[in-house]
Amino acid sequence: MLHRRVYQFLIIYFIGLGTLMLVKYSLNLSDYTIPGVSEIWTTCRRYFGLYLMAVLNTLCVAILGHLLSICMATVVGIIGRLTIWIGSFIRVAAYNIQAYPIVAVAPIIFILLGDGLSSRLLIAAMICYFPLLLSFIGILSEPVQEIEHFFESTRRMNWRLQVKIRAFENIHKLITVIVGSATLAMVGTIVAEFIAASAGIGYSIRIALYQSDLAKILVALFLIGVCTSVYLVFLEWLGWFIKRRLGSI
Amino acid sequence: MRLELKELHYKYPGSVGDVFRQLSCQVTEPGFHALFGPSGVGKTTLAKMIAGDITEFSGDINLHRIRHVLYTYNLERLPGWYCIREHLEAITPKSNRQRMTELVDSFGLQSCLDSRFAQLSLGQQNRTNLARYLLQDFDLLIMDESLANVDEITKEKIILKIKSLFPERCFLYISHNVVEVSKFCKQIVVLRNQYKAPQAVTLHGQDYNGRRTLKQTELEQIMLEIVNAS
Repeated sequence: MLHRRVYQFLIIYFIGLGTLMLVKYSLNLSDYTIPGVSEIWTTCRRYFGLYLMAVLNTLCVAILGHLLSICMATVVGIIGRLTIWIGSFIRVAAYNIQAYPIVAVAPIIFILLGDGLSSRLLIAAMICYFPLLLSFIGILSEPVQEIEHFFESTRRMNWRLQVKIRAFENIHKLITVIVGSATLAMVGTIVAEFIAASAGIGYSIRIALYQSDLAKILVALFLIGVCTSVYLVFLEWLGWFIKRRLGSI
Repeated sequence: MRLELKELHYKYPGSVGDVFRQLSCQVTEPGFHALFGPSGVGKTTLAKMIAGDITEFSGDINLHRIRHVLYTYNLERLPGWYCIREHLEAITPKSNRQRMTELVDSFGLQSCLDSRFAQLSLGQQNRTNLARYLLQDFDLLIMDESLANVDEITKEKIILKIKSLFPERCFLYISHNVVEVSKFCKQIVVLRNQYKAPQAVTLHGQDYNGRRTLKQTELEQIMLEIVNAS
């Protein structure tokens, strides 16, 4: 699973790099605009360690943000599944708020919380939170009538059992959504770092952008792609392990 | 113990035609009774009305000495995180533990106990589902095609077991099989479409319990009556 995903990423990355080289040599662009292969290789050797640490820093924040958003989506999804007014209110609010771009709110977060860990974490969590929330609300508010009927008619149903039944029956969907939102967590963290943070690979890309150093950006993109692929594979494995433990595969 | 339906009137939300018009019928004693009728006539709807799952109707449903009504249907599933044994143990009241072993044996579920529900055949799934309902406290159990996909021999064994274990309870068995309804049921409520009056006719079946010989001519007579009535 890991080698396949990394292999797919490498194919896409080198196709992109090849296209850049094609543009460079066909339009006879300078090394300042698009650096040559040897310059990219030199930059890679020089900055690999530094950028790897920056990517790992970003990945840690992304994972924390992802966990935070899963917890928030679970809690709000459980309340949002209710048929009383509070459930309905939360569902409507979730649909409306998710339409608002979090990146536009990010400057406010930086003004209020500064450019430290909390801002990066909050923006990462919020960017992957809404897609998760919409899926969680949808899944947890959809009755599984053919299982729930028995517990309802024998008066054994409680909210924990209801959530457990619905989550178990939709475990494949839930895991797919969680794995999918991991990419958003990484994107969210990088965007946060790019806007105002003082650490992480987003911050390094911002510096490289100010220096117009495309080689550094290409090295950063390479490391982001590899690390994100590893994280996604880990999540897929975790999902497979959970499904196997629950007996759903 | 009596189940009495008086002048029921019901139509599905958003639909034009009525399902029931002045429907009246009754089941007057405990035992294994049937609700019979062609497809789409409203058997499941009526069952849900009796069980309290549908409440927006006019007319009266009177339950005399029937406190707990349970409704089970053949598409129900058990939670997938349990094996059958764990589920049955979790949902069986302590007072019925002895009965659990008896039902598992007579329903032929011994070999399924360590499997999960999804691993069972359709017949085994239906038998398991019915067994767990029989382990609950109820006065009236409505069985909506609960023995579908079960072979005839096992089905007969199960029905006879139910009749011998629960003589004081009331069962309403929904089935399309005219032979088994005529053979095993005491009172047979035949539902007809809304253009026929009366919309429900009650007939008497053979109420076969395995201890006496079945009268073939009478059985055929009952079957004919049911077919004519529906």
